[in-house]
Amino acid sequence: MQMNDRITRRQLAAVVLAAAAVGRIEGQTAAGPQPSAGEDFKAAQQRIRDNSTSLAAVPLPMATEPAFQFKA
Amino acid sequence: MATIGNDVFFAPIPELNARLKDKEFSAEDLARAFANRLEQLGPRYNALALPLQQQAIRQAKTVDKDFKLGRLRGPLQGVPYGVKDLLSYAGQPTTWGAKPYAGQVFDYNATVIDKLAGVGGVIVGKLSMVELAGGGGYRYASASLTGPGLNPWDRTRWSGGSSSGSAAAVAAGLVPFAIGSETSGSIVTPASFCGVTALRPTYGLVSRHGAMALSWTLDKLGPFGRSAEDCGLILQVIAGKDGQDPGSAGKSFYYTPQYSRPMKDLKIGYAPVDFSERAEAPLRPALQTALAVLKDAGAQLVEMKLPQFPYGAVLSMILGGEEAAIFEPLIASGKVNDLADQSQIAGLKAALEVPAKEYLKAMRIRRLIQEEISKMFGQVDALIAPGRTGTAPKADQNLDGPTPPPAQPLDPGFGAIVPAGNLAGLPALVLPCGFAENLPVSLQLVGVPFSENTLLAIGREFQSRTDWHKRRPPGL
Repeated sequence: MQMNDRITRRQLAAVVLAAAAVGRIEGQTAAGPQPSAGEDFKAAQQRIRDNSTSLAAVPLPMATEPAFQFKA
Repeated sequence: MATIGNDVFFAPIPELNARLKDKEFSAEDLARAFANRLEQLGPRYNALALPLQQQAIRQAKTVDKDFKLGRLRGPLQGVPYGVKDLLSYAGQPTTWGAKPYAGQVFDYNATVIDKLAGVGGVIVGKLSMVELAGGGGYRYASASLTGPGLNPWDRTRWSGGSSSGSAAAVAAGLVPFAIGSETSGSIVTPASFCGVTALRPTYGLVSRHGAMALSWTLDKLGPFGRSAEDCGLILQVIAGKDGQDPGSAGKSFYYTPQYSRPMKDLKIGYAPVDFSERAEAPLRPALQTALAVLKDAGAQLVEMKLPQFPYGAVLSMILGGEEAAIFEPLIASGKVNDLADQSQIAGLKAALEVPAKEYLKAMRIRRLIQEEISKMFGQVDALIAPGRTGTAPKADQNLDGPTPPPAQPLDPGFGAIVPAGNLAGLPALVLPCGFAENLPVSLQLVGVPFSENTLLAIGREFQSRTDWHKRRPPGL
């Protein structure tokens, strides 16, 4: 039997839609309770405060300058 | 048109260049073959951001003329490649992986693209990435304009971020090499998850002109390739002084494997706990075997500890302060809400509140970190650690991890090697070293600034004794 490798527009559309559907399934994020945008923002602010606390624990001699590199 | 066999899609750079010079196929044949493959298979892994087939064919025709005239430009001549979509390519969209920038077009090329064009490299496409390189912190792999990066070894797994497409495209043989970027982990992580060799160069060695800025003092561009040797050949081209990058170190890089020191003269620092306890159990056999390979090659393994600093906090504070300054217009306009990941949106908004004194304190601690790490390298030539302590997570997994986080060993080992190495601007080489549950496992070698040749020599020796870097994902 001879294979016909031509594809109609309708068949092509079906292939594209099927591929898109697979992509959606694989790309879906896990179900379950998600924090609200406000909760996420508060958590991000808290992380900054926690990081400040961690930095405060490092003894810093006054002569320690920031690690910038200035070039003439 | 010559037939391009499947082996060509996984051939290293010197072999591709030799076959081009032998006229086994033309640069145009090769560009067409890779561009077609990238267009056909790239979407399977959500790895393709922008196909550039027409541009590639035009560029390849010029390369073929050069070959005909005997104008040889080095091993990358006629070799196709892809770039992470944070590099500008004149007249084409550069989305930074983010919806608010979907229509962005620059009228100039990134320096690395010009440098690669100068030696006859042929760009075949732009590769996907986590939106804005993930600077705000993201909860899901789907934090990208092109969807979650899918891993060629298992499409239910993530390819890693933020250089997701660069790693996946090399792993799947869609491009012989790719350029990615790292601020903190964005080369090391996807290379480890996808089982490809990759190099994070020393800060300032490769120009970032034309690349999206996330953190001026942390951003680096680097290659993903088939081997340590390929990474050396690519770095030789893309490294060098650039007046258009204020962070440029003004140094060139010459890949000189012929001058590498014998392995028996090299001391490599490691933390045993990384290989016995910190790495998840399924990865330990591959990691321990890899250590044994280096030992057999003559390297002296020396037990070490990282100096104690809050590396993650220091890095987050610096990154937060810089990204807030960079993306303030995006945040202030409200368009930040068009990003895909809610956690990333929150992280960027909150970053506006990083106090100047905290940013400066972090930069002062960074100086101490640089000094202490520099002292460590007085005793060893390189450090070695797992690329990642686990394999690629599921593509739909919450990347925040479980709450509370699982217990860690008391000895932190080199657990903070990624933020520590990035804060100190150190180069790192990722080497595939086996598999756990059919997913890649990798090592990372970290060296003193500008010691890329030492890392590449160790990598080359390791890869002469193993074949993990030659393995292909199933069905490819």
